[in-house]
Amino acid sequence: MSDGIALISTFSSDDECAQGIEALHRAHVHDFSAFAPFPSEKILEATSEARGQGRSPVRWWVLTGGITGILTAIALTVGTSYEWNLNVGGRPIASIPPYIIIMFELMILMGGLSGLLGFLFHSCLPAFDSAAGYRSRFGADKFGLVVRCAENEVSRLESLLRDAGAEDIAREAVITQGVPSHH
Amino acid sequence: MAAAVETNLQPSYIDIDRNVQRAMAPGGLKYWLWVAFCAFLTALGMIFWTNQIYKGLGVTGYGQPNMWAVYITDFVFWVGIAHSGTLISAILFLFRVRWRTAVYRCAETMTVFAVLTAGLFPLIHLGRVWFFYWCVPYPNERFLQPDFRSPLVWDFFAISTYLTISTVFLFTGLIPDLANAREVSTGWRKTLYTILSFGWQGTDRQWRNFSMVYLLLAGFATPLVLSVHSVVSWDFAMTQLPGWHSTIFAPYFVAGAIFSGCGLVLTLIIPMRKLMKIEDLVTIWHLDNLAKVVLLTSLIITYSYATESFMVWYTQDPIEIMTFNQRYYGPQGYLFWMMVACNCAIPLLLFIPRIRTNTVCLFIISIFVNIGMWLERFVIIAGSLATNTEPSQWRFYVPKLTEVVITVGSFGWFLMNFSLFAKFMPIVSMTELKEGIGWLRHAVRETYPYRKAA
Repeated sequence: MSDGIALISTFSSDDECAQGIEALHRAHVHDFSAFAPFPSEKILEATSEARGQGRSPVRWWVLTGGITGILTAIALTVGTSYEWNLNVGGRPIASIPPYIIIMFELMILMGGLSGLLGFLFHSCLPAFDSAAGYRSRFGADKFGLVVRCAENEVSRLESLLRDAGAEDIAREAVITQGVPSHH
Repeated sequence: MAAAVETNLQPSYIDIDRNVQRAMAPGGLKYWLWVAFCAFLTALGMIFWTNQIYKGLGVTGYGQPNMWAVYITDFVFWVGIAHSGTLISAILFLFRVRWRTAVYRCAETMTVFAVLTAGLFPLIHLGRVWFFYWCVPYPNERFLQPDFRSPLVWDFFAISTYLTISTVFLFTGLIPDLANAREVSTGWRKTLYTILSFGWQGTDRQWRNFSMVYLLLAGFATPLVLSVHSVVSWDFAMTQLPGWHSTIFAPYFVAGAIFSGCGLVLTLIIPMRKLMKIEDLVTIWHLDNLAKVVLLTSLIITYSYATESFMVWYTQDPIEIMTFNQRYYGPQGYLFWMMVACNCAIPLLLFIPRIRTNTVCLFIISIFVNIGMWLERFVIIAGSLATNTEPSQWRFYVPKLTEVVITVGSFGWFLMNFSLFAKFMPIVSMTELKEGIGWLRHAVRETYPYRKAA
């Protein structure tokens, strides 16, 4: 039994694809996914506006990783200085200025690594099953807009996408999983 | 023929893909002979290193006071080479410099393999390499703990962080291109690209996260690149040795690193674009811009040399003056003047636009830059140690066969890795070229008169 129809529309430019997304937004259709061969700002802005999304949560992963890196470096440097303390002429056992270098390096290291993990997590990667409607040309020279809808909405959305500049629209039955949720 | 040139003036997304995919096609006999030659040099270097481990550092020209010489020169040289990759990929990315798109993947790849090569040299330099893990900070029964106030420990953290972040940055940028390659590959290549691309499909959600992580990694890599070579320079500047103890070292080393790195990018990319037939993607316009960076950094290091000499004269410290007199006019003074010729004089030719747009001239100049920057590190490291504060200890270091072969072997190791990567991975970023296709068309139009003349 079908869960609905996926309309796979193909655009030759990111401008037209962004227009398609804006048209869907105006029509209150938000169950869609856009595909692009590069990070088009126009498409990203249009999808963010349509879904009311803010900036990517990956930045919090980076912040958390960076702070963890600094704390780890403090524990490592100050902790080991006191654990193996050596009093040299009354100088401080833990000398903070040179330790800032270690803190900086570990902040970058852990921030970068956790950023990578956050990127993979929020992008649902690795994912070796193709998303509904994915076409290999969407990674090469075409832009795709895959809309999941009920059968009675198909003709209205098709004409809406054609008006936005879709050069080709295909229909595909959605059986189990449709367009991944973006919320 | 004219029609073909006309078509290339307006490259499309598909043209970009075709060009890069053609470069990734299985290599011919010449390619594999080249890789085998590089592997041979690597093997030769490993044989000499094995001999050195077995017999000890006595097989080298090392001896008091030259306990730091060619291996540390090689280390600093390769770390320096790595820097242009991050400059081009991260710093120029933050400044939205469009010419970087065609060359940054090559520079970034160079970065990763250069840091890998650099990381070998502290190990090669160790007399007892099997104790290298003593530098790793962990509680142990020997009551040994690294001194976090030592620049050598800072270096350990800086280099390992730099290698990790450079690799992450390179890999993150590669994911969309690997997904693209996956779609047109067959057999084991398809399997490889499928695994490495993590099933990337380029959805808006993925691109949104990708853009954020890439921006933040670039933001992290920018101060990192400045810090790493500063830390490397402090290995020297924190000591009391005349010729090393200088506050100018950090910016001086960073500028030198970018200079040498851009030089090596030119050395690699000029033959590569010809052999891999990617001249339509990496155009003369891109090389021209890269040459301008080389020229700018050459002027900065010329200024640094002048400042360093001025400070020695200004302080009127007799030992510093003596050290620099030996550097300029001593038994190995010819190395200093060769360095000045390679780093300060020859790059001035890049002021001439016709030279910047002539690939043969650029290639030759880039070779001089590489030689000059290697000499700079040798003059600073071995030259300053040779003439320390005790004239009775003076000894001018001359490398023996072991150091020479290991150094040549490191070039073989680097070139072998780079050549293999360039054949099996997208060496030009398809994603970013498509994003800035208007600039690529501009580059092709700018290059058209040179191609026509050629």
